Amino acid sequence: MLDLPQVPAALKREWLELETRRHFLGRGSKALGWAGLATILGRSAPHLLASTAALPDQRPHFAPKAKRCIYLFMAGAPSQFETWDYKPKLAAMFDKDLPESVRGGQVLTGMTASQARLPVAPSFYKFAQMGKAGHWVSELFPHTGKVADDLCVIKSLHTEAINHEPAILSMTTGNMFPGKPSLGAWLAYGLGAINEELPTFVVMTSKMPVRTNVQALSNRLWSSGFLPPEYAAVSLRAGNEPVLYLQDPKGVNRDVRRAMIDGVNDLNRQLFERVGDPEINTRIAQYEMAFRMQTSVPDLTDFSDEPASTWELYGEKAKEPGTYAYNCLMARRLAERGVRFTQVFLRTWDQHTVLPERIKVMAGESDQPTAGLLTDLKRRGMLDDTLVIWGGEFGRTVYSQGTLRPDNYGRDHHPRCFSMWMAGAGTKPGISYGETDDFSYNIVKDPVHIRDFHATVLHQFGIDHNRLSVKFQGLDAKLTGVLPSRVIPELLA
Amino acid sequence: MRRIAIFLFLAALPLRAAPATFATRVAPALEKHCAVCHGAEKQKAKLRLDSYAAIVAGADSGPVLKAGDPKESELHRRITLPPHDDDFMPSDGKPPLSALDVKVIERWIAAGAPESAEFDAPAAPVVRVAEPAAPDYLPRLDQARKLATTLGVRLVPRSRVTTDGLVLRTASAPRQCDDALLAKLAPVADLIVEAELSRTRVTDAGLRAVATWSNLQRLDLARTGVTSAGVAALAPLAKLESINLTGTKVDERGVSALKANPRLTRIWTFGTPVASSP
Repeated sequence: MLDLPQVPAALKREWLELETRRHFLGRGSKALGWAGLATILGRSAPHLLASTAALPDQRPHFAPKAKRCIYLFMAGAPSQFETWDYKPKLAAMFDKDLPESVRGGQVLTGMTASQARLPVAPSFYKFAQMGKAGHWVSELFPHTGKVADDLCVIKSLHTEAINHEPAILSMTTGNMFPGKPSLGAWLAYGLGAINEELPTFVVMTSKMPVRTNVQALSNRLWSSGFLPPEYAAVSLRAGNEPVLYLQDPKGVNRDVRRAMIDGVNDLNRQLFERVGDPEINTRIAQYEMAFRMQTSVPDLTDFSDEPASTWELYGEKAKEPGTYAYNCLMARRLAERGVRFTQVFLRTWDQHTVLPERIKVMAGESDQPTAGLLTDLKRRGMLDDTLVIWGGEFGRTVYSQGTLRPDNYGRDHHPRCFSMWMAGAGTKPGISYGETDDFSYNIVKDPVHIRDFHATVLHQFGIDHNRLSVKFQGLDAKLTGVLPSRVIPELLA
Repeated sequence: MRRIAIFLFLAALPLRAAPATFATRVAPALEKHCAVCHGAEKQKAKLRLDSYAAIVAGADSGPVLKAGDPKESELHRRITLPPHDDDFMPSDGKPPLSALDVKVIERWIAAGAPESAEFDAPAAPVVRVAEPAAPDYLPRLDQARKLATTLGVRLVPRSRVTTDGLVLRTASAPRQCDDALLAKLAPVADLIVEAELSRTRVTDAGLRAVATWSNLQRLDLARTGVTSAGVAALAPLAKLESINLTGTKVDERGVSALKANPRLTRIWTFGTPVASSP
């Protein structure tokens, strides 16, 4: 029979690991010969029939600081100039040309590459130092300013991507090509659920306050990539029914529903016995999750138990399903119930034109609920082990896109530096990390690549980013990829 | 943080040769990482690694050592394979040997695998060992998991460091967890370092059981029926660092009673009768 002395032992081993029962049985009559090969290679049949999607050891590598994360994703990329990277010297440089030495020959996007001039646009909004830590805070964020001492502001994030889709993918999955597991999926896979009645990873996209420069969001951003599909996010809809079809129709009670799901699961198990596709098990798991959510979700979305102070914190808009404020409150309720990772998207930060007016709308949408969420988590003792992240996918240019007036300008995409903040779960409160030059064009001190940022987030969850990996396409694939990345200890308390 | 500091320290440290022996450097590493399956209790592959004679005797498939030649020694090969390799040891995701331990074993074999003579090995780093949070959970992990499953709660390791203790988790079905259930956790009481009891049916009576969890560091009682009287019973918890009383009836008397706990620095009282909650 088959003997393959020329195939290296390590390759044979890997081949066997990658074989699944699905392939085995799908091969029909040839399978017998293949089983013979397995014997030659010294393996017992049961091993060969196992799925490759084995449950990982979900113990953290070391004691975690974070149990949960609420990631407030400002999609479209908020300008650092009007938010967290105060550049006072620009005021005197209004409408001067950006020095060529600063740009350093960088290729610009098609949106500004053809501009005759790259005139410097100072922030229309004023800044003031707030809190004991003395963070410079934009007047657009009066509420966030009040909790500035809880913030760990990073002004030196950088990325490779200069357009939204690859940049958002880089932030959410660590890679600008679609198909990789997102940060939330890695955490769900690596750590498992705290509450098995709810999804481990939840995504909410917020109603858009403006309708210009809308960037599409898709489930690529919260997919499980090459991890088993059950680790992808469950996306809650903006509306009265966050999960469709959870309510039983008239005449169907819980027992009938249970019997129906048991029946479908039986059929699915029979199919699994025949073809062994692990995705069938995922399907079974999803039916079970949906059944459990029939009881866990109504309690989640019933805000009648909220004290009056909730609305003072998050604002009245939090009563309107689907708004960012509502989603922030929902994120707290999910965190309370043990959902590991909640990602709230707020879109339309992409102000190529009319920036002063539009960023004010966006900041107004984001400021109070964000600060309210931090305050609420803190007073409930949850900020200790809930990591909160606020930020977009890249920065914006110091020079104006299009016409420049003191009160009207636009800013193009800029990947070389941008600002974000983290709070809670052992991040260092009240600090600012990293510096950019006077034009916030280049990083001059302490750069933080998004890989470093991801490594640091995983570290707070007790995960060594180099050890959380799965075999995929011949690599030990991991969130931080193959290029150098490191935990930034200065960001941690 | 300390972990990172140690890592950087190691990275910067030249691998300076220092005298070592089988007893001082090799045996402890094997004991820590291998003896669970290759020791007194289990002898997988008929191999024991808990004595010099047993290592030399080898496994059912043959010797595991070739003195003087680490590359030809099965013992060395198994611990240096890629971690996902089926033959990698320790198997089943048990904590692998450190790079330093692997190097020490390599040098020991290279030096002829001497039983008592000294050999040159990289110096052991001087690391201030943190106080273990709890006794090693590994010997009782199966017992703890079975007990938790029976009771409808979960007991999960806080980390792979087996002295980091267990976390009591109730979020999947908080209303199933009551005072009687807490009392039944007595067999693993000393392993619990963190108890997530928010929204459970726990009352003051249950806190008498919690008070015996001597290694408890964090206790979440948010939105339970506990009162000041019950909280006062927690005084014996010398390691308690934080307690969450959000949405309970605990008042100032309970908070003052907690002042007796020497390490308790964080007390949350939002939504309680305690005045001026933060």
